[in-house]
Amino acid sequence: MTPEEQKAFEDRIYAYVGVKVCERTAAKDAVNPAMIRHWAEAMGDTNPAYTDETWAANSRRGKTIAPPAMMYAWNQEGFTVTRGRASDPQTDMVELFNEYGFTGVLGTNVTQEYFKEVSPGDTLYLEMEIDSISERKATARGIGYFFETLATFSDQNGEKVGTQRFRVLKFIPQEQPTAATGDDKLEVPTRIPSPRGHDNGWWWQAVDEGKLLIQRCKRCQVLRHPPRPMCGECQSLEWDSIESGMEGEVISYTCLRHPAIPGYPKDPVCAVIKLAEGTNLVANIVGCDYDDVFIGMKLKGRIEQVDEKTTLPQFYPA
Amino acid sequence: MSEYTTLNYADVHVGDKLPELAIDITTGLIVGGAMATRDYEPVHHDKSAAQATGLPDVFMNILTSQGLMSRFVTDWSGPEAVIRKLDLKLGAPNLPGMVMTISGEVTDKDDSSGQVSIAVVGENNIWGMHMQGTVTIALPQEA
Amino acid sequence: MVANIRDKAAIVGVANTAFSKDSGVSELSLAVQAIKGACDDAGIHPREIDGFATFTLDTNDEIEVARALGCGDLTFWGRSHYGGGAATGSLHQAVMAVATGMAECVAVFRALNGRSGHRYSQGVSGELLTADAIHWGWYTPYGLLTPASWTAMITQRWMHRTGVTKEAMFEVARCTREYAVSNPNAFFHGQPLDRDTYFNARMIADPLQLFDCCQESDGGSAIIVTTPQRARDLKQPVVTVKGVAQASAQGQEQMTSFYRDEISDVSEHRIAAGDCYEMSGLRPSDIDAAVIYDAFTPNVLLQLEAWDFCKFGEAGDFVLDGNLRPDGRLPTNTHGGQLSEAYIHGVNGLVEATRLVRGQSVNQPGKQVDHALVTSGVGIPTGGAILGKLD
Repeated sequence: MTPEEQKAFEDRIYAYVGVKVCERTAAKDAVNPAMIRHWAEAMGDTNPAYTDETWAANSRRGKTIAPPAMMYAWNQEGFTVTRGRASDPQTDMVELFNEYGFTGVLGTNVTQEYFKEVSPGDTLYLEMEIDSISERKATARGIGYFFETLATFSDQNGEKVGTQRFRVLKFIPQEQPTAATGDDKLEVPTRIPSPRGHDNGWWWQAVDEGKLLIQRCKRCQVLRHPPRPMCGECQSLEWDSIESGMEGEVISYTCLRHPAIPGYPKDPVCAVIKLAEGTNLVANIVGCDYDDVFIGMKLKGRIEQVDEKTTLPQFYPA
Repeated sequence: MSEYTTLNYADVHVGDKLPELAIDITTGLIVGGAMATRDYEPVHHDKSAAQATGLPDVFMNILTSQGLMSRFVTDWSGPEAVIRKLDLKLGAPNLPGMVMTISGEVTDKDDSSGQVSIAVVGENNIWGMHMQGTVTIALPQEA
Repeated sequence: MVANIRDKAAIVGVANTAFSKDSGVSELSLAVQAIKGACDDAGIHPREIDGFATFTLDTNDEIEVARALGCGDLTFWGRSHYGGGAATGSLHQAVMAVATGMAECVAVFRALNGRSGHRYSQGVSGELLTADAIHWGWYTPYGLLTPASWTAMITQRWMHRTGVTKEAMFEVARCTREYAVSNPNAFFHGQPLDRDTYFNARMIADPLQLFDCCQESDGGSAIIVTTPQRARDLKQPVVTVKGVAQASAQGQEQMTSFYRDEISDVSEHRIAAGDCYEMSGLRPSDIDAAVIYDAFTPNVLLQLEAWDFCKFGEAGDFVLDGNLRPDGRLPTNTHGGQLSEAYIHGVNGLVEATRLVRGQSVNQPGKQVDHALVTSGVGIPTGGAILGKLD
């Protein structure tokens, strides 16, 4: 971009400062208990001020309130954005940035201030404008501009409920010489798999196919696990396997609390399990809390896919 | 009054640490959080749309991050606390399979308004800082 | 009938480097510093060393160590497998070499940047040798990934069978810390451990909390082993090896012997104990002080039973009666152990056991130590040794 081109671009971009993205518009739904409850469930928020009417009636507020952090949710456009957003001054401005190569987008800051709590029955009104656009900046992501939108929320009486400032960086994405390492970093971690060799590969293959097998000596019929090439009882190299019914009992157990390992659920419960067939197996116990596990507990297992790449025996309380 | 208690302004001191909250980031939480905040941007529920932006899977929307941050604070403060401000700097995205640990510490008290500032950070175990900022609440000042 | 090497080899020099969380030097540097220190302690020149014994996990090649130290010709080098299991295993190698005349002066060493370099607490990753990887593959997919988690599995079972509680583990942790408080080379020098700190510490792998786990340390430790004849002419009071054993029990795996009829018996330690007592002609009541391998607090409890200081199920009472303390029946881990001095895979324990017999421990018990026990890791092929004065 020549200095002249930059000037021309900036003249067009800065013209958006102060432009209204939307006039004061009522939310499609009034504040209501159902949407509040959905929100509280998803967030795992048990705050009774949001969902417990009996508690709230006796509280300082005398009634339930909407979670302040829901403020922006009420005025969202909703499902139609799956088919794309309607054009408005903000989308026009973004399009202009894109035209000039500032295709990168990164939300960097969001600040909500609340002046008033709202309750079921209230209706939120939103108006929004483009509040500021920074000068051209060199950032770690690339050359770009920060723009900030200011959303102002009010209620049905015109009283101001709160504001939201959202700061976004529009930037020219840098050539990424380190793309390879970038890709590597972006991979979603999965559990550390077992390598598969001659002596154990068949066992894991069966797990992939939904079966828990136990190796058996063809000569003396003794079962063994983990799989090994020779029978320790009669030294035969001949073996086959039986399918386990995946019933068992806890011999011992623990829970790995620290360190948290990428790709694993938090606090996995692991156990040594004596299978009904007589061999021991290490696997996870799921479907109950750690505190409910005990030595001697009866378990029933199934083969489950636990992440994108891993299928494992998982045991539940019987 | 009930099993829910709320901290009194006088009970809180600068330097107090909030109990850590570790949150399993699952596809369910990401999609459920997006729906609950009426955010139907495809990148929050459609993996292929997310992948088109260069990320490997759907990622958490900002309103869910705000929700989790507000929950983290009111879990500690109790329900009579009034949230005044959520001021967040946004960092690395939260994706399924990660664990985000939120921690916080009281950094300031304003006696005249009864407001308490809490520095909060949510870090995921893969990419580090997801959100960082300050939550301001007002606490009851009388007994 | 066990082979008898009683009094056929002596430990004449011992040394530790400084222990830290970031040595700032190579593992080779730590190794040669430790060995040079042990030579100085013995009053010999490194040129007199003609053999080495260490761990397969140690990254320092014997010939590199020899060149760096300025040694001459070597006629013996031997390694023992597995982390903490190899401490007395390395001594075992050295004693056999000296007793048979294959070498005259063997340096046993272990040097690692265990905190600033590879950290064992981070668990086993994909970057492993194939043989090992297949083994770990039975555990990694489930999240059973760290030494603490494997030890926890054995411990939970043992607690269930014996009814021993965490009070006993606290006593082990508290007591080793008490020793470390007065050991200037210990990481926890000057820092006692109180009950609240112990019980409120973060859970690592149930039932093991932070202070049930050893540290991760940078450092090196070494001892010099030679013939008793030679030892008489050197600087220090002569400490001989009365018995030394290696043992791997049936159904042994590395930390994960989960397929035995009973998974919490530490059978390998029972074998090592039987051999050591038989070789030395000694009994548990003859042992005056001990260095008992303590990567985790329950390690000590299970070994007290396996080495017959108390009956099965009585280790809790044994430690709660104060037996491990400075004035107790069996002062144990008087350097602070690996819980509180440093984690050098038990070779700092060989140094301390030698010092106990010499009368040079920084926390020397008030009684004469004629015989000291030193043991290796728990849950792996392991061993132990009994050291004593030359008759």
